[in-house]
Amino acid sequence: MNGAELGWVEVGTSVLLVAVAVLVAAHQRLGLSKDVLLAALRAFVQLIAVGMVLVVIFEHGGALGALGWVVLMVFIAGQVAGRRGKGVPRARIIATVSVASGAGVALALLLLLDVFPSRPSVIVPIGGMIVANSMQAVGLVLLRLAEHVDSSRAAIEARLSLGMDSAEAFGPHRRSSARAALLPAIDATKVVGLISLPGAMTGLILAGVDPLTAIRYQIVVMYMILGAAALAAAVAVHLGQRRLFDQAQRLRV
Amino acid sequence: MASRVSRVPAVPDATRCGQQYGAVHAGVAAGYYAARVRAAPGVTGAPGSRAEPRVGSGVAEEHAFVVDDVVLRRGDTTVLDRVALRVPLGRCTALVGRSGSGKSTLLRVLTRLAEPDTGAVYYRGVPVAEWDVLELRRRVQLVAQNPALLAGTVAEEVTVGAGGLGEERIAELLTRVGLDAGLAGRETAALSGGEAQRLALARSLALEPDVLLLDEPTAALDSESATAIENAVLSLVRSGVTVLLVSHATEQVRRLADHAAVLVAGRVAADGPPGELTYLEETA
Repeated sequence: MNGAELGWVEVGTSVLLVAVAVLVAAHQRLGLSKDVLLAALRAFVQLIAVGMVLVVIFEHGGALGALGWVVLMVFIAGQVAGRRGKGVPRARIIATVSVASGAGVALALLLLLDVFPSRPSVIVPIGGMIVANSMQAVGLVLLRLAEHVDSSRAAIEARLSLGMDSAEAFGPHRRSSARAALLPAIDATKVVGLISLPGAMTGLILAGVDPLTAIRYQIVVMYMILGAAALAAAVAVHLGQRRLFDQAQRLRV
Repeated sequence: MASRVSRVPAVPDATRCGQQYGAVHAGVAAGYYAARVRAAPGVTGAPGSRAEPRVGSGVAEEHAFVVDDVVLRRGDTTVLDRVALRVPLGRCTALVGRSGSGKSTLLRVLTRLAEPDTGAVYYRGVPVAEWDVLELRRRVQLVAQNPALLAGTVAEEVTVGAGGLGEERIAELLTRVGLDAGLAGRETAALSGGEAQRLALARSLALEPDVLLLDEPTAALDSESATAIENAVLSLVRSGVTVLLVSHATEQVRRLADHAAVLVAGRVAADGPPGELTYLEETA
């Protein structure tokens, strides 16, 4: 790691850019100056705190400690994604289970097949990316499920009235929700490298790693994100549908 | 099972609708639907629920539906307030009342799209909860007030519930609701409100239901569509189908129904032959 070494002095200098943002906000009277400052401060505190935790985990936690950290991330991601599902009963539980399924399977495959070494310094960032993308997919699934129930109640009940069970009656809406949730991951995969230089690759290149090595990492990262997001979305639509309908094959909400 | 079925009157008594029965007896539709009415209900609830109709408990078998003391609350509102209603088999019963009086909710309770808080609902003498709910909904077709169309073309729409129907059968179903059989290839998005309503009825008829629950089937429709639907209802009742009709139109109720019940604020305020219900004008 003989790339650009960044010290605290340099971090202090970069506060200048926050000042620019505050000035722009004030000049344009966006009413956001306070928000910009708070966001900058919050990012600083949050990252320092996380950094210190990571130092402890990397040095003393071992693989188990790292997995514990991933579990915590899954729990937080479940709360965040679950909030999208207003109108879906038990959305937070559904979200947590879905993120855990997607992230758990993807991470287990990568580690058990020895694609990545089971070191805390690998498990934490890889786990973080998988959890974050699963969270995005699950949040979109829950958002769309709630929207579909809201806007397509008449069509859903028309299908139920024709004697279809809930899986059949909700099928088009379930598929549409899953599709919408996976599009961001698919699009990101399509344009990777052309439009975006994603985080993992950027980080490795900044740290002085040979670009081809960085790209190999990035390819694996994109594939694992696709897999984890697809699995998490599939679990979320399945559980969501089960919570939306009851035993009598009718909408619960 | 057979003994129960033999007690089901396939031919309705002489009534407003039934008077014309003889004339239609030879009709194709009549024989077709009479056969459906005779078909034994397949009760597939919990094991042992293959109960005989509870004639002894006062739930008479000549009724398609018996609604007993049904209460349904939504928040602070009592949508259905101890509703009691009998829907005789093979007749046309009307349900009238202002909007918000609970008529649509009652139809939803009958097919278990809504669950009452207390009270009982029987279909053919068996509590609706003991029926296989999918079977119940196929036999008892609910046609909503503004039915959502589900398919791309008219022909696909007719078969969306029944599936695998031949061209001839599709044409026959369209004709029965007064639609031109030539419409089969038309996009459903291009249909008028009246055509869509009639198509939704045809889609339900494709399942050969024993009971039709019609929620304001002609509200806001052109007179041609309204007449087509009324004629379809009359012919269905003559052929043995039980119809429960929610309607605002007093004249329509008098033309179609043998029996009317008036819902006021979630309660059945009165019921009787529509000709004698002078308060229909005030409530409808």
